[in-house]
Amino acid sequence: MFEILLAEDGSIVMEGRLDAAQAVKAQAFLDNVAGRCVLDLGKLEYISSAGLGVLLKTHKRLMGTGNGIKLTNVGHHIHDIFRYSGFDKLFEIVPAGH
Amino acid sequence: MQRKCKRDINELKNIVKMTESVFQEMGLPAGLRNVVDLATEELFVNMVTYNTETNEDILIEMVPHAVGLEVRLTDYDVERFDPTEVVPVDVDAPLEERTPGGLGLYLVMKMVDSIHYEYRNRQSKITFIVDRK
Repeated sequence: MFEILLAEDGSIVMEGRLDAAQAVKAQAFLDNVAGRCVLDLGKLEYISSAGLGVLLKTHKRLMGTGNGIKLTNVGHHIHDIFRYSGFDKLFEIVPAGH
Repeated sequence: MQRKCKRDINELKNIVKMTESVFQEMGLPAGLRNVVDLATEELFVNMVTYNTETNEDILIEMVPHAVGLEVRLTDYDVERFDPTEVVPVDVDAPLEERTPGGLGLYLVMKMVDSIHYEYRNRQSKITFIVDRK
C-alpha cells in the first residue's frame, strides 16, 4: 500500500511502500507541485529505484525554478538507499529524530 | 517456496507477500527484508521491462542458504542479459548529469552479498544470496 497526501502544514507525506507499481501515482501527484517542496518520509517503509526516479525527476524540475525537494523524517533504511544512490549529495535530507 | 509470476509489475504485491511468508517460516531477521524486497523487485522489474519477446511467467524461488537466504529468478525463452555486467551508475555525478534510470541494478549489486548469472537453453537465471549477519 502506498499513499501520498498534502499535510496541513503544507508538507507532502508519503506512507507505505513506494515501489515500481506505485511510482506512477507518486509522479502524478508530484507533477502538480510547484515551489519549495518538503517531503515527510517518516511513514515511508520502502523505496525502490522507481521511487528514487520519481524524486530525482521532481527535484530536477523544481531546481530549475530555484526550488527543490527537502526530504524530512528519513528513517535508517531509506537513508541507506539514499546514501548508496548518491542522493545524500543531491538533496537536503533531515534524518528521523532531528 | 516458489511462485510463477505474470509479467506485470502489479505482481509485486504478491511477491512481497511471498517474501513475508518466507521470512516468517525461516525466522529471518526483519532487518534483511528491505534488501531482499529491493533486490527481488529490481531484478523482476528488469525482466518484465526488457525481456518483452516472451509471454512466459517468471519463476521466483526463495530457499534457505547456509548463511541466510537464496533467491532465484528464472526468465524463460529470452535473450542473454547479465545484470552483473551492467556499467555502474556514477553516483557522484552532479544533479544536472543524473538521470532516473540505471539505479536499480546498481543498488542490487551494492546490497546483496553475492550474485550469480547463468544463461542456458534460452533461460536466464539470476541467483542472489543475502547473509543473515
